[in-house]
Amino acid sequence: MPPARDAMANRGDDDEVCPVCKSSRYLNPDMQFLINPECYHKMCESCVDRIFSSGPANCPVAGCHKTLRKARFRKQTFEDINVEREVDIRRRVMQILNRREEEFDSKRAWDDFLEQREEIIANLVHGTDVAKTEGDLQRYASENMRSIRANQAREAQEASSFKEQQTHEQELARLRREAAKQEYENERRELQASREDVLTRLAAGRPGDAAAIAREGKKVLLKKSSARRSEEDRIRQKQAALRNSDARKAGQAGTAADKADAAGDSGLIKGLKKIVTPEPEKPYDPFGGIIPNKRDYYTLRDYYPSSYLDPLRQDTRMQAGGYDLQEYYSRTLMEAFAGLGCFIDEEVAQRDPAGSLGASGSVATQGASLAAVSTAGTLDPS
Amino acid sequence: MIEDDFYRTSSQYRLWSFTEASLKAQRATTNAVASDRVRAAIRRAQEARRSATSSATGTPVPEVDGGGGGSTSTSTSKAEEKPIECLTPEEEQQTVSYYCEQIIQLGEAYKPPLPTIVRATAIQYLRRFYLTNSPMTYHPKQIMPCALFLATKTDNYYMSLRQFADGVPGDTTADDIIAPEFLVMQSLRFTFDVRHPFRGLEGGILELQAIAAGQGQPAPHAPPTQNTPELLRRNLFALPPPTTTTTTSTNPQTTTSSSSSTTSTSTSTITSSTPATAAQIKDRIARAHHNTRELLKSAAQITDVYFLYTPAQIWLAALMVADPPLGEFYLDTKLGTPPTTTTTTNDQTSGQLAALRAKLTQTLTACATMLRSYHPLASDPEQMKTLRRIIGKKLYHCQNPEKVNLSRPGGGGGAAGAKRIPAAAAAVAAAAAAGSGAGESGTSESEMERLAKKRKLEQGAARSKDIFGGELVMQRTKGDHH
Repeated sequence: MPPARDAMANRGDDDEVCPVCKSSRYLNPDMQFLINPECYHKMCESCVDRIFSSGPANCPVAGCHKTLRKARFRKQTFEDINVEREVDIRRRVMQILNRREEEFDSKRAWDDFLEQREEIIANLVHGTDVAKTEGDLQRYASENMRSIRANQAREAQEASSFKEQQTHEQELARLRREAAKQEYENERRELQASREDVLTRLAAGRPGDAAAIAREGKKVLLKKSSARRSEEDRIRQKQAALRNSDARKAGQAGTAADKADAAGDSGLIKGLKKIVTPEPEKPYDPFGGIIPNKRDYYTLRDYYPSSYLDPLRQDTRMQAGGYDLQEYYSRTLMEAFAGLGCFIDEEVAQRDPAGSLGASGSVATQGASLAAVSTAGTLDPS
Repeated sequence: MIEDDFYRTSSQYRLWSFTEASLKAQRATTNAVASDRVRAAIRRAQEARRSATSSATGTPVPEVDGGGGGSTSTSTSKAEEKPIECLTPEEEQQTVSYYCEQIIQLGEAYKPPLPTIVRATAIQYLRRFYLTNSPMTYHPKQIMPCALFLATKTDNYYMSLRQFADGVPGDTTADDIIAPEFLVMQSLRFTFDVRHPFRGLEGGILELQAIAAGQGQPAPHAPPTQNTPELLRRNLFALPPPTTTTTTSTNPQTTTSSSSSTTSTSTSTITSSTPATAAQIKDRIARAHHNTRELLKSAAQITDVYFLYTPAQIWLAALMVADPPLGEFYLDTKLGTPPTTTTTTNDQTSGQLAALRAKLTQTLTACATMLRSYHPLASDPEQMKTLRRIIGKKLYHCQNPEKVNLSRPGGGGGAAGAKRIPAAAAAVAAAAAAGSGAGESGTSESEMERLAKKRKLEQGAARSKDIFGGELVMQRTKGDHH
């Protein structure tokens, strides 16, 4: 707000005195006052340079023992120092408690959060429970470092994209205006040219043709202007379509940005949405958890001595066919132990807990019915 | 154990594994249903015959007549009075076992003989078939060649049907063999995979040989005390000699009773016995291999072990029968010594292993007992006599007359009927479920016949209407058989 600042700077010029060096604006019109958000004591620029150039020092105002640094001195924005302070506090708190509405379960939770934030700000401004509030805030900040960063980044991104959009819109408006101006110019020129044309024809033609020539000229003019108008319409529609698609794209980008967020519930803020980070997809396991060559009863060797099988290793007829003794080994050993630990008397009884009679009965009746049908089939001459 | 999970996915585990009780109940149910059906069918046949004779003679009351008509009617009425004696489940089982042995012999008759695995598969097919069907309904004589032929196909041992039929004794034609094929497949619930213990035995022998050569690989969960190949080898060489070696597979019953007593004391005898030479051990493994294989070929096939145990348990039990110390030793290398000497079982995995080992010992003992209890029917004249009585007389009388002719000439009637069964069977199953239990079987049967007739009629009507002349599938199935 430059006008306000100007007003403040220029108001009450002369009677303004630096509380540290007592020099007044009357003597030094370029004097500027700076404040430090540590204690908000006002002092002039030269004082700041003088006192704090060589490192941090105590505040020169009597009774104020805050240690100040030069880097943090800045110009006062608001005339009222209390407002300045509140704005600073608010900015700081907002930076930490920068949750967004979409992070909350419900509107109610969001509203509660807003109220809580206002309360914290009020506490800090008015100095009630400062230590506790400050502690809460610090704890929250350290616990939610990541989400705070993420939200800050998003805010910055939104701000920049908003600015970009605005400049883009301004640019578009400028172009439109220029185009309109150009158009108006063209139209005017054409009108003039046609008028001149009519005049020259009137001058060259016979007196009887005057009315006809005038009518014709008007007609040509009308035709031209209507053609131009339709052309303009076409261009305008095209531009509108383009604008729409741009807007849509921007919206999509925005929602995509919203999604990218990671935050957990914090102690301070209630009602945050539980954010479930999807399980990272495991690498595909074609065997469904079975280790292909794992065996429990035996360890497969590369070679087993056998007077029966050994000649096969040298037999070219076998080798040529691709016969692999390894396959034979693995298969025989697998079959040697497949089911060794299956105790059928227990497992089958468990498998048909209703009693094996029911199952077997159904099988028997099925067999009987089959028999009955084939009876009918054989009896019936076909 | 991951290998067990592999086995649990097999159809043999899912559909064809039973507890002893459920197996018995299953057989009893099948027998009861089939008996009822046979009685009803014979009664129907008699009634049909009587009505035929009465219509032929043209006399409404044949009793007062003398002559031929009267005599036939009295004979039929006498037959009706006499209750039809059906087979008991035990007799049925004996019959099936007899035909299982027949399969072995029939396989031997071919040149070259059919592979063991084909015969074993065929035997299991036959046994599975007769879990839900009774020999009274379908005579094993008809089913047996079909099962064997099916096994040649599922086990990749190609034979043409003609070639196969030539080997079957008697005047069995190719059509006779193929006729019940669909029926058999259906009763097998279209699960053709039979897990045999033969290949597993080869694997075990491979490992034993590797141990003997000092190249033994310890099992992943084996206790750390016997982890080195050298230690395994030394333990193997220190094994007490098997008492069964002198009298091998000829009569395992007598020898194993003595050997089972020695196994309990085997740990003490290890130290006293002098270590064997490498050649001896090799010879011993080969002999155990051979004997186990013989046992698997015969006893394991004819007894119920395939239904009650897993292939891995079967071959290990057979090895225990053939050479108990060797079998025990091999199991020790896998799961550690029996939990009687629990020194380091505080570890969780070793505790689990010990529990597994204890349970396994029990199961293997039961399986081994069952294997030992088998005696070939042919070797026992007493058994053969009873069998002849059962099959020759009793089964002849209680054979379901409606099922005698499975392959009717004159085109696909049986085959087409069989093909259509599933839909109709489902309908009947639903009807039976709506009613309750065995009491409804009579109505369900009539329902079945009604459905079948209706279907036939519809088929005929459709065929006459169809401008493209009926289904091609029936013609193709007929053509396949030749």
